[in-house]
Amino acid sequence: MKEIEYLDISGDVGLRLRAGSLEELFEAAAEGMASLITDTSALGESEQKEVVIPAGRGDDVLIAWLNELVFLFDAYGFIGRDFRVTFHKGELRASVSGGTFNPAVNERNLLIKAATYHNLCLKKINSHWEATVVFDI
Amino acid sequence: MTIQGLKRIDSNRVEVPMGYKKGMRTKGVIYVDATLEAELDKDSVDQVANVASLPGIVGPSLAMPDIHRGYGFTIGGVAAFDVTEGIISPGGVGYDINCGVRLLRSSLRKGDIAAKISDLVNALYRDIPSGVGSKGQLRLSAQDHRKVLLKGARWAVEQGFGDREDLDHTESLGCIEGADPALISSKAYERGKAQLGTLGSGNHFTEIQHVDEIYDDEAARSLGLFKGQVTVMIHTGSRGFGHQVCTDFLEVMQRAVIKYSIELPDRELACAPFDSPESRDYMAAMKSAANYAWANRQMIMHWVKESFMRVLNAGPAAIGMSLVYDVAHNMAKVEEHIVNGTKRKLVVHRKGATRAFAPGHPELPPAYQHTGQPVIIPGDMGRASFVLLGTARGMEESFGSTCHGAGRALSRHQAMKQAKGRAIWREMEDRGIIVRATGRSTLAEEMPEAYKDISTVVNVVHAAGLSKKVARLRPLGVIKG
Repeated sequence: MKEIEYLDISGDVGLRLRAGSLEELFEAAAEGMASLITDTSALGESEQKEVVIPAGRGDDVLIAWLNELVFLFDAYGFIGRDFRVTFHKGELRASVSGGTFNPAVNERNLLIKAATYHNLCLKKINSHWEATVVFDI
Repeated sequence: MTIQGLKRIDSNRVEVPMGYKKGMRTKGVIYVDATLEAELDKDSVDQVANVASLPGIVGPSLAMPDIHRGYGFTIGGVAAFDVTEGIISPGGVGYDINCGVRLLRSSLRKGDIAAKISDLVNALYRDIPSGVGSKGQLRLSAQDHRKVLLKGARWAVEQGFGDREDLDHTESLGCIEGADPALISSKAYERGKAQLGTLGSGNHFTEIQHVDEIYDDEAARSLGLFKGQVTVMIHTGSRGFGHQVCTDFLEVMQRAVIKYSIELPDRELACAPFDSPESRDYMAAMKSAANYAWANRQMIMHWVKESFMRVLNAGPAAIGMSLVYDVAHNMAKVEEHIVNGTKRKLVVHRKGATRAFAPGHPELPPAYQHTGQPVIIPGDMGRASFVLLGTARGMEESFGSTCHGAGRALSRHQAMKQAKGRAIWREMEDRGIIVRATGRSTLAEEMPEAYKDISTVVNVVHAAGLSKKVARLRPLGVIKG
């Protein structure tokens, strides 16, 4: 189970996420954010990146994870399409496959400056995980 | 929508009383008339109250009439903190550090370029990289990158992008002292190295305009403005470099909040005592990003001039383009203000608010000592923008601050819904405005109805005495990211 809902916020945009596991929730957050930037299915040749985020509070790790992906896009044009997240003693290890954004070819949607702590929420409800993240755009 | 608990002070001000929210140390004041009060949303009022709960706040937590919900601080927020007992918060500056606006005047009249607007817009669109994923014409070496952070617009002028006189007409002379490149993360350097000289996306733009109304003849003359004159406005900031600096220091401040036992109503308000190593590091990094932004706008201005000269086949003297002023509207600065009759050193946060110093202020350049600081207020791409001047009343009441723009009225989704089935570019063309944008949905998200009416916003700060109207500018051609 993985659900991504787009939130409408006056100047900005957010995601409400629901997933069966914490790993899936982090994958959903990354997929949701990437889809705000461009149509990831139209990206070119596949590249692979490994991402590691040190252990910390769950919601802090979520923000650090998304901001690492913002960095990879903004600095190198790399945007993920498929995300495989695992946790080892709280440390996030992710394998991200995606491609390099080409502004002349790929759809140019939102420029995400950062994932913010504003109204940030990450919690386990019964058997599933939920999160809300707001992006500055 | 009527928000319970607000008290109207007069026709341009409402109070957020101390009891509006638990933990408030001072009241809030929002500058709105009845029309704009009806458009207030509760979240943004709550944010004004949240800022009022931060340690060491001096005077009220203020919000300008272009208020709308931000993250942590509201957009349009102004808050001053004591330098010994107060805090600094990266959320009170925003991710786009030194996002700001510069206005160029020219010796051209509207009629001189009437047949060339499309060509000019196309030239600007080609010459100024804009939009998601765009890279600049430069790749900064590590050495040059550090020089940009230390010198700001001065670095750009030294490289041939503009003239020495431009610096005199830029807030803080285009370079705020105290930047420290050693405090910048490798990620910020990576994000910044290919983005200098780029416009960005969202609400950033370069706009060709004409002066269509003068409210104060003498002031307009002092600013070199006249009716029918062609002007160009540039709105952008510190790009990915500044975004990364903010991201980096929000993490630092999350730890500082625990270290210094600061209670916060919203984690995005993370802060540290101003007199702390965390704050000193943030200030030095923020100043580095501010200088990057001034270099960015300086370079874009240079390309604007080049585009005009090429399209009009004219030299610099014939187009007569020069800088009126460049203002920051996302910044924290240490300033001296009189509070209850006593001079105090304060760290003034302006997030989506513009500095507006009164005549005679020592930080103003000689050209504007007698007029007060020019304030450049961009509106939406279909209606108008304004030039105002700082006032003594603004110094007394709002720490020399005023509004920064129109402020959003519709969310991006609402705007896209309203634009469905409409050709916004054609609607704009019917109004005599040529627009070009790179983003798939930029024009829909940025259509005029997505914003509050800039005239209403500006009329409030004028009537409240925070700044005074000098001229109205109408758009002729716009490029957006």
